[in-house]
This record gives sequence, structure tokens and C-alpha cells, in this order.
Amino acid sequence: MNPTLSYEATPPFRVPLSFFLLACLFGIAAGVLLVIEPRALVSRWTPAALAMTHLITTGFMLLVMLGALFQVLPVVVGARLPAAGRVAPAVLVLCGSGAASLSWGLGTASTLFMQAGGGLLAAAIAVFLALAGWGSRGCADGAGSTRDLRLALIGLAITTALGVMLVLALSRGLAVPILQTTNLHAAWGWLGWGGILLAATSWVVVPMFQITPPYPPGLKRYWAALSFALLILWSIAALAADAPQWAGTTLLAGSAAALALATLGLLRRTRRASPDASFRTLQLAMAAFLGGALCAVIASISAQPWWAMGAGVLVLHGGFVSAISAMLYKIVPFLAWLHLTQARIKAPNMKRLSPDSPVRRQLLLHALTLPALLAAASGNALAGGVAGTLLAAEFTWLLINLLATTARWRRAQAGH
Amino acid sequence: MSTLTDLLTHDHRQCDAAFASIEHHLRQPDWAAADNALAAFGRALESHFGAEEEILFPRFEEATGMTQGPTAVMREEHREMRAALARMAAALAAHDAEEYGGEAETLLILMQQHNMKEENILYPLCDRHLHGEREHLGLSIGHRLEGVPQ
Repeated sequence: MNPTLSYEATPPFRVPLSFFLLACLFGIAAGVLLVIEPRALVSRWTPAALAMTHLITTGFMLLVMLGALFQVLPVVVGARLPAAGRVAPAVLVLCGSGAASLSWGLGTASTLFMQAGGGLLAAAIAVFLALAGWGSRGCADGAGSTRDLRLALIGLAITTALGVMLVLALSRGLAVPILQTTNLHAAWGWLGWGGILLAATSWVVVPMFQITPPYPPGLKRYWAALSFALLILWSIAALAADAPQWAGTTLLAGSAAALALATLGLLRRTRRASPDASFRTLQLAMAAFLGGALCAVIASISAQPWWAMGAGVLVLHGGFVSAISAMLYKIVPFLAWLHLTQARIKAPNMKRLSPDSPVRRQLLLHALTLPALLAAASGNALAGGVAGTLLAAEFTWLLINLLATTARWRRAQAGH
Repeated sequence: MSTLTDLLTHDHRQCDAAFASIEHHLRQPDWAAADNALAAFGRALESHFGAEEEILFPRFEEATGMTQGPTAVMREEHREMRAALARMAAALAAHDAEEYGGEAETLLILMQQHNMKEENILYPLCDRHLHGEREHLGLSIGHRLEGVPQ
């Protein structure tokens, strides 16, 4: 199959954009939920904490990641996604309604909503994976990224399968060990899907856009495969034998920490003269992954529930939300610029489409939300209320900034 | 033996370094030095485009019969990058650092998504289709990148 390398092979701008804008609403919902239930983060098992986690993971993160992959797979790995323009809206509706339903079901202990949510999300992911698998067959393995992207997609499938098993266990009494399966579900979601996807993207994006030296070849070649193998071994050990939780957690956390440290090291060696807010936020993401990995290890040997919550907050909000926000501020104005230019319309430059100042302030608010969330994990109601307000404000501001870029794109189109 | 992918990817990184050096001069700001750095970046970019448009792409098109495929898209993106470079030069001539920053950011993203497509897809395809003449092509491209007359 010969790739065209053309953006014509990707869906129209409104497709990824609708994923990104809808994703922000889930972030806002997570904040509002914390305001309503300010003690939610006292334990990972409270209904509100489970709902918040899935508002962020299946609502915000998954929607952005799928929206971006629709855009990225054709141009980065040369995949041809047949009828992506028509399939993507279906994936958006399935994923959005699935995330909302699952979160509602977990928050209210409604088995009906849990099952509906699990089913809708599984359908969204199955459709996406079928399309991506079909479209990328026979693609060359450019610089290892293609192989790692495939591993991440398998990681997504496994995370989903474990999630569906948990929904069936909670709603229909399916006999699975809940604690082990939940830990596996989280580990596959964090490292097998999110972490490997982040790595596959970082191998290419960090050296190119931040103008740094390349990642060490050994890390680039083996990190994803090794992490994936560790996850498989740990999964077998956790389910088959009663393996100690700390051993697996330490190995997986070590793997995540290696990637974060390597990326921090590269970022220190950037050739760019004045690193922007996105660069700082990427540094924050890597530091938070390191902190999250450490908290996860301590959580595996400590009875104190804060460490597990600390790990969750650091990895999800500090790590993934940071990296995703930084990416959105690059990808959205670029896509707006690209679509205008390809339509032969004179496009405002990147900084006119997305000025620095509101981006910097929103990312600063995001950084300030992180310690508030960590404080809220103590179960203190005042801290929870403050953190919830900040979280809702952060995602509202992100949405406003993305909408402002969209409005400038529309104005340029209309003015043509 | 080094591949066409290695050779041209290495040159992408050289262009990146030239791009970054303009920013360093602007930070001070030293407009004259930034102007020189922009000229050097423009030359590096033009040599790279030239090596592809005059040597690599024609051979790829001949070998595969694909004239309206990936190389056509890459040529179009070269055109867009040349236009972005001209806008950067205009902003620099006007000593407008803010406008320069916006145009430079645009070119950087445009250039890197273009490089990503070449490094991940097009160059490996070239290595595959032009396997037998890789060494000869590598030499010609190397000379063109160094500005040695053909």
C-alpha cells in the first residue's frame, strides 16, 4: 500500500476538533463533581472518585487521544483510514455517551448505566481499533513509532476488556478478583495504553518540536516492548499466583520513571532559546510521572490510602492532562492554519490563532490545580472544594481558549 | 552502509539547529546576527529541498511511476515552507519580534510534521525502491547538501 502523505487522507478539521471540545466538558464535569462531593478523593473506591477517574480517563483523555489518532495515523504511519470522515463521528458519539454513562453509573452505583457505559465504550474502541488495524496493515515501521503505536492500541484493547470484566463483576456478579483486576485495569490503562502511546509520540515529537537530541536508541527500541512484556508477566503472576503487589508495581513504576527521566534529560538539552508554556508543562508532566511512580510503589506497601490517590492524581492530572493540554495548544492552531492554507486562504500565523498569554495563564492555573488536588486526596472537604473549583475552571478555560482559536479560524474562512 | 533515511534525517537535524540559532540571537536581541542566522537557515533549507526536488524525488518517481503521489505532496509542502520563510524574513526586516515568533512557530510545526512524514514513510520507501543505487544517490545528495556543484 502506498501512502499519499496528504492531509486529504485525514478527516476534516471539525472531526478532531469536536473530539477535543467535547473532551473538555468531561474535565469540567470532573471538577463540578469534586465540588459537589469534596471528600471524594479520600479513597480510590468512593463512587465519586471512581466517577471522576473515568470522567478524566474515558472522557477527557480517551476522546482527545482518539481524535488525535484519527489525524495522526494517516500522516505519521501512512495509514489509510477508510471512511474516517463518517466513522469518526460515530466513534465520538459512542465514546462520549459511553464515558458519560459509565461515570454516571459508577458515581450513582447504577448497574444499568455502568453496563450501558461499558458497552458503548467497548463498541467505540472496537470500531476505532478495527478501522486503525485495517488502515495500517502493511505500513512500514518508521523509526519504531509504528510498532509502539500498535502496542499501545493492543494495550487499549486489554484495558477495555479488563474494564468490561469489572463492569460485569459489579453488575452481574461475574466471578473475578475485583482488587487484582482493578489494579491490572489501571496498570494497563496507565502504562500499556497511555504510557506507550505517549512514548510512541514522544520518540518523534520531543526531539523534533523541542529541538533536542534524539532519545537513546536502546530506550527507543526496547522501552515499549519491555513495558508491554512486563505488563503481561505481571498480569499472569497477579491472576495465576498470589504474587506480591509491590514487586510488579516497582518494575512498572521503574519503567515509567525511566521514560520520564530520559524525557526530562532531553528537555534540558533543548536548543530552543525561550521555552514556552507548553514546554514547561511537558516538564511538569514528566516530573509528575516520576512522583506518581514513586507514590504507586509506596502505595503497594503502605496501608495509608493517600499514596494510591496521590499516584492517581499525579499520573492522571499531573502527567497525562499536562501532556495532553500542551499538545492541544500546538495541534489545534496548526490544524486550523493547515486547513486554511490548503483551502488557499491566507491564514493568520500560529500565535495569532492561539496567542501566548491566555495559554500561559491557563497552563499556570492547571499547574496550581495539581497541589490542590493532592491536598484534596487527604479527604479534607475545604481542599476538595477548592480543588474541584480549580479543576472546573482549568478545563473551562482550556475550552474557551480552544473555542477562541476555532472562532479565529472561522473568521479567517468567512473573511475570505 | 548508511541509508538515504539516515543521511537526510541527519540533515533535517542540521536545519533544526540552524532554525534554533536565530531564536538565540533574537533573545538578546541582536537583529544583525539574527538576520545572518536566518540567511544561513534559508540556505540550509534550500539545499535540502534542492537535493530532494532535483535528485531524490525524480529518481523515486521514475522507479515507482508515482508522480502524483507522496512526492507531489512533499513538493507542495516545500512551497508552503518557502512562503513561511519569506514571511519570517519580512518580520525580521521590520524588527517585529512578535510577528517573527508567530511565523517561526508556524514554520517549525509545518517543517516538523513534514519531516515526520519523510523520515517515517517517504525515506524508508526510497531506501526500499532505490536499494540498488543507494550509494550513488547518497553521494550525489551529500554533494548537493554541501553545495558542491554537480
